Amino acid sequence: MSVFFLHPLYLLGLVAASLPILIHLLNRRKLKRIRFPAVRFILLSQKRISRSYRLRHWLLLALRTLAVVFLGLLLANPIFQTGAGLFAGGGPVSLVILLDNSLSMTWSADGNGFKQAKEAARFLIASLNDGDRAALIPTNLTGKEPFRLKGEKEVLFKELERIEIADGTANLSAALTKAYELLNEPAGQKEIRLITDMGLTGWDQFSTSSLKQYDPSIPLKTIRTGKQQQPLNGTIKEVRLASQGVGVNLPLRFEATVANFGVSEIKDALVQLSIDGQNKEQKLTSIPPRGEAAVSFQTQLTQAGPHVGRVSLKKDGLAGNNAVHFGLDAQDKLRILVVDGDPQTSLVQSETFFLIRALNPAGEQDSSLYLPTVIIADGLNTTSLEPYQVVILCNLSSLPDSLLPKLQNYLRQGGGLLIFGGDRVQMENYNIKLVQSSPPLLPAPLREKKIGPEAGGEKIDRLDITHPAMQSFSDPILLDSIKSARVWGYSRTTAPGKSALISLANGDPLLIEQKVGAGRVIFFSTSADRDWSDLPVKTAYLPLIQSLTNYLAGGKRGAMDPGITVGNPKEFSLPPSYVGKSLKIIKPNKQEVEVPLAPDKDRASATFQENDRAGIYRLSLPVGGEKESGMPLLYAANSPFLESRLDEISESELQAKLKPIPVEVISIDALQQGGKRMDLALPLLGLLIVTLLTEGWLAQRI
Amino acid sequence: MTNDEKNYFDPKVLAGISNLYLRARWVVEGMMSGVHRSRSKGFSVEFEEHREYSPGDEIRRIDWKALGKTDRYFIKEYEDETNLRAYLLVDTSGSMDYASDGITKFDYGCTLAASLAYLILRQQDAAGVVTFSDHVEAFIPPKAKRDYLLQILHALENRGPAGETNVGKILEEIAGQIKRRGLVVLVSDLLDEPEKILKGLRLFRFKGNDVIVFHLLDPAELSLPFDGNILFEDLEELNLRVVADPRAIRKTYREVVEEFTSRMRQECHDNIIDYQLISTSTPLDQALASYLSWRG
Repeated sequence: MSVFFLHPLYLLGLVAASLPILIHLLNRRKLKRIRFPAVRFILLSQKRISRSYRLRHWLLLALRTLAVVFLGLLLANPIFQTGAGLFAGGGPVSLVILLDNSLSMTWSADGNGFKQAKEAARFLIASLNDGDRAALIPTNLTGKEPFRLKGEKEVLFKELERIEIADGTANLSAALTKAYELLNEPAGQKEIRLITDMGLTGWDQFSTSSLKQYDPSIPLKTIRTGKQQQPLNGTIKEVRLASQGVGVNLPLRFEATVANFGVSEIKDALVQLSIDGQNKEQKLTSIPPRGEAAVSFQTQLTQAGPHVGRVSLKKDGLAGNNAVHFGLDAQDKLRILVVDGDPQTSLVQSETFFLIRALNPAGEQDSSLYLPTVIIADGLNTTSLEPYQVVILCNLSSLPDSLLPKLQNYLRQGGGLLIFGGDRVQMENYNIKLVQSSPPLLPAPLREKKIGPEAGGEKIDRLDITHPAMQSFSDPILLDSIKSARVWGYSRTTAPGKSALISLANGDPLLIEQKVGAGRVIFFSTSADRDWSDLPVKTAYLPLIQSLTNYLAGGKRGAMDPGITVGNPKEFSLPPSYVGKSLKIIKPNKQEVEVPLAPDKDRASATFQENDRAGIYRLSLPVGGEKESGMPLLYAANSPFLESRLDEISESELQAKLKPIPVEVISIDALQQGGKRMDLALPLLGLLIVTLLTEGWLAQRI
Repeated sequence: MTNDEKNYFDPKVLAGISNLYLRARWVVEGMMSGVHRSRSKGFSVEFEEHREYSPGDEIRRIDWKALGKTDRYFIKEYEDETNLRAYLLVDTSGSMDYASDGITKFDYGCTLAASLAYLILRQQDAAGVVTFSDHVEAFIPPKAKRDYLLQILHALENRGPAGETNVGKILEEIAGQIKRRGLVVLVSDLLDEPEKILKGLRLFRFKGNDVIVFHLLDPAELSLPFDGNILFEDLEELNLRVVADPRAIRKTYREVVEEFTSRMRQECHDNIIDYQLISTSTPLDQALASYLSWRG
C-alpha cells in the first residue's frame, strides 16, 4: 500500500500552506489604533463571544491552510496504490525488475522460492502497458552485462526464462546500481521491484556506500517470496587435507566440517567422499543445532596427475548447499639419491640417519611421498643421476672428477642438488669443483670451518620466508622451533648473509642457493646429522628437509586445491611463451570460454571472471607454449558457505541498510492477489471545493 | 420644512459655528420661527437694585423714598419672579471628546445646553449650568436675567473635555447644593456604572426636582462601524485597550449597547425621569423638542 505522485515537483507548493498563517501573523502586527470612548462595551462583547469567535477564527485559518495544501496535492496528482503491481494511468512507466537468483532461492518457500519469484516477474511484465518499458536484472551479475529498458514483453519473457539460479551470493550493490543507472534518464513514473527471499547473506555485505548511483526519490519495493516452515538447514563448511601431501599410493586423509544453521538437530546425515566421480567412502553423522561436526575420510590415489574430489551431504528435507568440490594434484614418489660421505656401522651414527627419517618418518616404502636411496661416495661413479629428482650430498670429503660433468648436465636438465657440509669436507676441493667451474654450482667460495663447543653454538636468526622453499616457516610454531636450534660447526662462506635463505645470529649464511640452468643447488653449511648442530632433533627439521626437497624437485606438488568461491575471479600465470594465445576454460555446465593471455612482467597472465557455477573448471592450454607450464589444469569453485544459511533480514534492518532509499516490503501474495490504484486528483478537487465553500460561508458568518 | 430650515439643526452645520452663543441662537431662533410667540412675562416682586432715572423711564417706578433721602431720582429694579429654575448639568469628561464624523459629543452637549439656556432665559425662566468630569468644574446657579446667558456660555466654553467620568458621584454632590426645586437637565454619555448614575438621578427626584436626561452617544458608539483588526484605546483610562475585529463582535456589541440604553430608559421611566437617547448625528431640534414637550 503506497501513495506516489505523478508530478512531485508541485509538492513544493505545499510551502505556500504557511501563507494564511503568515498573513494572519502580519495582520496581527499591522493593527489600526483608534481612541474610543466605549471600550468597556467592546470588552463586554468580546467576553460574550470569546469562545465561539476564537473557534471560528481558527477554523477559518485551518480551512485556508487546508485549501492551499489540497491545491498543492492536487497539482502533484497523488496516486494511491495497494499491492505491488503496476496499474494503468499516471503516464508511461519505467520499471526495473531485480530478480534474486542467488543460491538460497533454491530452498526458499520450501523449494518454490525461485518459481514464485519468476511468476511474480512474469506478472509484472504482463502488467506493462503500451509505452511502458522494463528491464530484467538478475542479482547475480558481474556488473558488466548489458541491460536496457525495453517495451517488448515477449523479449522480456524470454529473458526471464533464461535466468537460472546461480551458485553464488546476490551482488545487490551491482544490481541496484545498474537499476538506478537505467532509471537515470527516462521521465515519467519510475519503479524498482526486487523479488527476493530476503536472504541475510546477500545483505550482510551491502551498504549504500557501495552503490555507485542511487536516487532516494525512487523507492525500492521488495517483493518477498513465501516463508520457510523451519526446514533442516545445513551444509558442508569446508574440506581440508589432513595428510602430508597428495601422492600416488599414499594414504590420503580428508577432514570435512559440516554445519547446521537450523534450530533442530540434523540426525544421521550421510556425508560422502568421491574422487573422480567414484564414491570412495561415506559416513553417517549428526550435527547439533547451530553447531558443527567433523567427518574424516581416508583413501588412496593410484595415478599421478590431476584429480577432482567432492564431499556431499545428503539428508531428506535438508535445505542448503550439499556439495563441496576440490582439486587434487597427485604426485609420483620423489626419488632421492642420498650420498653418505661419512658412513658408519651404527645406523644412528650415520651421517644420513636424521635426513632419511625426515624424508620417510615411518620407515616404510609406501608411507611416504619421498623415496630416498642411500649410497656411499664411491658409488657415485657407477650411479646414474637421471632417475632421481633430487641428489643430496652429505659430508662428502671431495668431489670425484667424473662427478662434475654429470652434475652440471643433471642440473641443466632441471635436477636439484642439496649439499650438506661436515667435518670431512675439503674446502679447497669444493671451491675448485663447485665455485670455479663453469657454470659455478656454488655462489661463493668456502673460507673456513668454524667449530666451537656445543654450548656456545650460534642461534638461527633470520629466515627468508618469502622464498618458496621457506614458506612453511610462516607458521609461528615452526619458526620458533627452527630458531631454538644451535649451530656450533659450519663452513663459512663469503656469500653476503642477507642473500641467504637462512642466516645465523652472527650474520653468517647457513643456507645459500645457486641456479644452474633449469636446476637449482642449495648449500647447507652445517652437517646433516647432529655433529655440528642440534637442528636434526628439532620439530622444524622434517618440514625444512621436505620443503627443500620439494623445491629442488621443481616446486610445490602433490597438494589439494580447495578452489575459489563462486563469483570471485581466477587468475592464471603461465610462461611467457603463452603471451598472445588463449586459454580455453570448460565450465561445470560444459560451456567453453576462451581467455586471452596478456603479458604481465615476465609471464603470460589472464583473469577469468565468469566463475558463476559451482563445480570443476577444466583448463586446456593452447598449442605452442611450453609443455611443462607447472600450472594445475583444473580448479574448483564452490558456493559461499553462508549462502546456505536461510536466515532472513527483517524489514526494519533492510530499511536501515538502504537508508536514505525508502524501502517497502510486500508479500508475494499481495502481488498475486492484485491490488488497486486510485487517482486521488478527483477526491482532492472535491475536498478543495468543499473547503473553499466552507471557508466562504464561515468568513461571512464572522 | 425646507432643506434650509433643516440645516439649522444639522450637527455638522453647527460644528462649523465656533461661537456657542450664535450656535444656540441659531438653533432656538430657527426652531421658534414657525411657532406663535406668546410672551409669558413673569411679574417681579423681589427688589434687586436701584439705578438712576433716565428719561423715558416710567414715572411710577421712581423710588420716592430714595428721592426724599438723597434728593436724586432712582428707579427701583426688581428681579423677575420665575416659575422655573433649570439646572443644566453638562458632562465634560474625556469620553465626551469623541466624534466619528462631524461634531464631538462635548460640542453637541454644549450646544444643546446653550440652546436650552437660551430658550429658558428667553421665556424668562431661570437657568444655571454645572460642568463636571470626576469633579465639578463650574457651578453657575440659575438666574432669570437675560444677560445671564453670557455667563452660562462662558462656563461652557471655558474648559474643553478632559478627565475621567464619575457621573454618579457628581450627581450626588450637585443634588446637595441645589436648595430649591426645579428642573435638572443632565447632558452626558453616561459612561459610568449605571447603578451609580441612577442613584444620583433618584436623589434629584427625591428632592422634588424634575429630571431630563439627554444621553449622548456618537453614531459609531451605537453601531461600531469599523473594519479590520483594531487596537481600541479608551479615551479616559490610558491602560484600557483591547484588540478586536469589529466584524466579529459588531452584532454582540450592538446588543450590549442596546441592553445598556434600554436599562437606563426603563429605570428612568420607573423613576419618572425623562430619558432621551440622542445620537450626535440627530438634529438638535429633536432634542429641544423633547424639552418643549416637557414644558408643555
